[in-house]
Order: sequence, then structure tokens, then C-alpha cells
Amino acid sequence: MDNKIVIRKMNKFYGSKQALFDIDLTIEQGMFGLLGRNGAGKTTLMKTLAAIHKKKNGKISVCGIPIEKESEIRAMTGYLPQDFSMYPNMKTDEALDYLGALSGIPKAERKKRVDSLLRKVNLNEHRHKKVKELSGGMKRRLGIAQALIHDPKVLIVDEPTAGLDPEERIRFRNLLCEVAENRIVILSTHIVADIEASCEQVAIMDSGKILWNGTVQQLLDNARGHIYTANVEKQFLPQIKKEYIVTGILPQNEFTTVRLVSDAEPDLPNAVMTEPDLEGAYMYCLHSSGCEVKGGEE
Amino acid sequence: MLFLKECKKVARSLTFWIYCIILALMFFTNYYSDVRYGESRPSAYEQDYGTKVVEDPDLIMDGAINSLMGEFASNRYICYPFGFYKAVSLKDNDRNEVEKLIQELTGTDHEGISEFMDEAQVNYVEHALSTYPEYVFNTMIVDKNVSYERFKEIMGEIDDILGGGSLYAVDSLAFNFSRVPMTYEEALKEYEDSITADTMTGALSRLFCDYTGIDLALIPVFVAAAFTAADRRRRMTELVYSRKISSLRLTFTRYAALVTTMFIPVLITMIIAAVQASVVYSGEELKMHLMFTTPTFWLLPEIMVVTAVGMLVTEIFSAGVAVAVQGVWAFISLMSGSNELYGDITKFGLMCRHNTLYHRSAFMETYNDFVFNRIFYMILALVLVCAAAFIYNLKRGGRFNGIRLFGKGGILRRKA
Repeated sequence: MDNKIVIRKMNKFYGSKQALFDIDLTIEQGMFGLLGRNGAGKTTLMKTLAAIHKKKNGKISVCGIPIEKESEIRAMTGYLPQDFSMYPNMKTDEALDYLGALSGIPKAERKKRVDSLLRKVNLNEHRHKKVKELSGGMKRRLGIAQALIHDPKVLIVDEPTAGLDPEERIRFRNLLCEVAENRIVILSTHIVADIEASCEQVAIMDSGKILWNGTVQQLLDNARGHIYTANVEKQFLPQIKKEYIVTGILPQNEFTTVRLVSDAEPDLPNAVMTEPDLEGAYMYCLHSSGCEVKGGEE
Repeated sequence: MLFLKECKKVARSLTFWIYCIILALMFFTNYYSDVRYGESRPSAYEQDYGTKVVEDPDLIMDGAINSLMGEFASNRYICYPFGFYKAVSLKDNDRNEVEKLIQELTGTDHEGISEFMDEAQVNYVEHALSTYPEYVFNTMIVDKNVSYERFKEIMGEIDDILGGGSLYAVDSLAFNFSRVPMTYEEALKEYEDSITADTMTGALSRLFCDYTGIDLALIPVFVAAAFTAADRRRRMTELVYSRKISSLRLTFTRYAALVTTMFIPVLITMIIAAVQASVVYSGEELKMHLMFTTPTFWLLPEIMVVTAVGMLVTEIFSAGVAVAVQGVWAFISLMSGSNELYGDITKFGLMCRHNTLYHRSAFMETYNDFVFNRIFYMILALVLVCAAAFIYNLKRGGRFNGIRLFGKGGILRRKA
């Protein structure tokens, strides 16, 4: 059985409205980042891969199993939705145990896995707390634990760090990297830093289409020669924001350092080409694909 | 075990506890207080032993024709469509139709009918802000050439003209016009039947089922609908959808948990009723098992089918629609049998009514229909749960998202 997800010419409709267009992707073992704006179609793609949305046409196979075999796909897939909760009056370990039972895990094995996963996600000391008493970060970690309860080959996590504080976000990313050692982990997010810190492979989506698919390094290389910094006087900032895609503004004493994306060398004093960061590379990718980008414009 | 986990979830829900409270309140205020004191053997020196309904053609025809003439003369017919009071006034065409039928019944022509009406005693009745004449007839008789069968056909036609639910509905003729006083011997036989034929517990269990059956025709739907909608309300849907368990197994496990958990409070009231029976009728020979077997066979199918309706309609529409659908069904079922509280068990009525400790023979006459009815509802319930599992599976695979009636994208809103 091959250890990858293969998507070929896949389209998805909501009624008459097309949500995904000719998606072609191959996702190998390890962390895979799916980056895109809100409404780009990431969640629709995630749900389709988790067999809770139906594609219109095209092919998807998960570790060699066609997506149409929903039961088998669900048995090998762990899914953490973007917007989820659990029965608020259940205790943490009880909620995990319940979802394990729905995954068909025998009682004795379930007990072991609940114990081990609660330790892994640092919730062991909160295991007797009711779900409604957990913080947002704790709930997300519980979410990961439930997605891993049946030891899936594929883990799909949709916008897992949205709304978490920086410390929780780092902790969560590290946890994902840990579990990605022997499985496919698909991380869908609109937060570039999450991809930068954890993924080797990345795809960029917009308006239901895949704009980019490759390694993070390739994405950075693609933007090389199009990212600049310039020191400008503060009063010119509104004008610069109108003309360029500004990805960073750092106020200094006498002037302001702006970081921007440009096809050609910008007509700004002191503008110098600089090494691309992932945020800039992402913006350049959107821009070069013809997407309307409003970086910095108010 | 998943089943026990689901039972625990049901037992923790607020709607389940409201269900328990309603059930307990209804039990103690109706059944428990009704049978607090034991029924005593009729005495030979009582003046009134109650009445009984008999199908006596002469009584029925006499009563019905006099009542019909009175209502025809005042053009005001009392009807109870679906149990609601309604005074029906006919337009000329329909009135002429009724008159023709009366002419056939009485063997009288138009002038003869007019004469009868002129000679009738008239009382003026004040109703709300109006006053209407009430004609009283006592001496009308049905023409001897009209057979009882033809009489019933005519009554059926008149009931149709009146829109149903009138005093002349064929099924209600005996109940409305043919009541006779019971004799001491008959009253004694009724009592003996209750005591000896299946001992007092048979009668008590039927009364228990009558009262509890009314509650169970509606309130389980609240628990079932709320439970079925809980995943969505708790934003658990996708976590559950993405599990390995099959839709059929999950739906049936949840269904079994709902039915089992909701039956437990009924079982508790059964135990209380059994204890009460053994105290009130201490010294009598009682078949205590009847306090459990009869209610289980009588009430369990009702919980099963109401729960199944709740689950299915919630999957297709929403919990609110499920409650509304079951509410309408329960109401129609209750009202359609409102005239006769015993001996009116039909093959397809949701509620089986027998609101008396007596008339065992009337119950036994419909026993086959009763057994058919309960088995039918058990099977129907299982079919509905299969349908609910099918819908759940469609929703789970993203092939169906349910039908919204109201709110954004609702089909009723769109039409408006």
C-alpha cells in the first residue's frame, strides 16, 4: 500500500456553484501545508479528503484506497475540523473514550490509547475536567488527541491554530511535527508562520484552485528577486501602500523600513533586493498568479 | 460499550429529565389518584349502576331521527371534527339534500316535514351574542320500510354533508343514541369480570396504559429530537461523521439507547402501580405479572415509533419540525377517539384507549386489532429508523444537507 494521497482532476460543487477546480495534488508522508486565504477552498478540500464531502468528479486515493470507500477511508483518517466542540458536560477522558468507541476500538485498547494520548497532548492532569472547563488551547489539543485515537495513517487538521495565543500555537505546531513522523499530516491554515515552522511541502490555494505546489524552499526561490526593502519617510507610506504589495512596516527613528513585493525594482530611494521570507513568497505567488492582493493597502 | 455510553448521554440531557418529570406528574395526578381507593362490589340496593352502550337499531333510529329533525329545523348541527366543537349551518343546496334524506327516512314529503316543524316545541337558546331556536322532537319515527342498513347509509351521507364528526357518524350512532341503564346483574358481572377474568391487575394495567399512552404519544419526541440534533448543536457533527462506525450501527445504537432510557421511567411507574395495586387490593388474588407485561406490550411500541419519528424528521428537517409533526399526529390520534374512551382500539390508531377499569369484554372484542396495532407500530418504528440511518449516511457523505423550512435558504422563506 503506497503511503501517499493522490488527487487527480478533482472538482467539487455546492449545488450549481463550483468550489474546487481540477485539483491535482500528491501528498507524501510528513507535514504538508495547505495555505490560502479564508474562503480559498481549503476546508472543502479537507472535508473531501476526510470523506465527509463528496467530490463531483476526478479521482482521489488515500494510501491506495479510493475515496469512495468511505468506511475504509474514515478508518485510516483522523480529522480535526476548523470549528468543533464536544459534549460540554463530558469529562475530557470520557469524550476521548466516546470518540474512540465510535472508531471501533476495543475497550482495553481504548483505555491505553486515551491514557497515552492525554499524556502526549499534556492534558493528563485535566482528564477529569469537563470539556466546557477547558481553555481554547486545551480543546485544540484534545481535538488532536481525538483525531489520533485510532492511530490513523492520515491526519487532517483544519486551521488548528486560529485563535490560540503564541505559546499555545508553538506548542501545537510542535505536537503536529511529532505526530507527523510516521504518517501524512495535512495542515490547512491561512497563517504563514505555521507553515514556515513545520512544513516541508506546501500548496497554495485560492478561489478553489491550486496556485502552487512544491517545497517551501522552491516557493522561496520562486519569489527571489521580487522582495525588496526600502527606508522611506513616514509621510510617503500611504502612497507606497497603494503602489506596492507591502508585507512589513518597521518604524525606525527617522524613517520607516518597508518590506514589499514587486515585479521590478521599485522606484524608491534606498530600495534593495532582499532574501524572501515565506510571507513575501506567498504574497508574490498570489500576485504572480493574477490574484488580487491587497497587502498593506487600506 | 457504545450502547451504554449513548444511554448515559440520554440520561444526562435536560430534555430527558423534563420527560421524567412530566411522566411522573401525569402518573400521580391521573392514574395513581384514580385508583387510590379500590373498586367495591356493587350493592343490590343502589339506584344507579351507570349505563352501557348497546347496538339497538330501534333505539338508535328513534334517537337519531329526533335529533336530526331538531338540528335540521334550527339548521344548526353540532359537530366535533377532530374533537373540536363546531356548529354547522348548511346552505340551501345541502339543506335540500338533507331534507330529501329525512323525507326518505320518515316517509314524509316537504309539507309533512314543515308541519312537524310547525308543531315542534321551540326553545330559544342564548349563545354568545346571538339567540337561536332549538327545536325539540320526541315523537318522530323512522318509516318501517327503511331498513337499519339503509338507515345507516343515510346517516353516513348526512355526516358527509356535515363535514364529518357529527352525531350521525355511523361509528358513533350507538354511542350517541343507544345507551341503556345497566342492571344490578350486569354491574355485578362487570365487576366480577374485572376481579376474576384477569384479576384486578388486568383492569388496572389497561387503565395505566390508557393514561400513560397519552403522554407517550408525544413527549418522547422531545427527547429524541433534542438528542438527534445534539451533535449539530454541540458542533460535534464532523467529529462523529469522520469516525469509522457505520451509519446504520450508530443510528440503531442511539435509537436503542433512547428507547431503553425512556422506558426506564415508565418501568418505574409500572413498579409503583404494581405496589399500589398490591396494597389497595390486598387479600385479592392478583396476577402481578400483568402490571408489567401488558404495559410493556402496550407502551413500548409507542415509545419506539414516536422516537423513530423524532429521529427521522430531525435528520430530514430539524428538531422543531419533528416536535410539530409528532404533536399533530398525537393530537389527531387523541381527538379522533375522543367520543369513545374504551372499546375503540383500531388497527392503525397511535393511541389505544381504554379509560375504564371495566368493560373487559369490549377490550377483548378488539384484542386482535390491538395486537396487530402494536406489532404494526413496532415494525413501522424499525422501518423509520432504517430510513433515519439512510438519511444520516447521505448527510455524512455530503450528499444531502437536510431541508430547511425557515431561516436563510429555507424553502418556505424562499416562496415568501
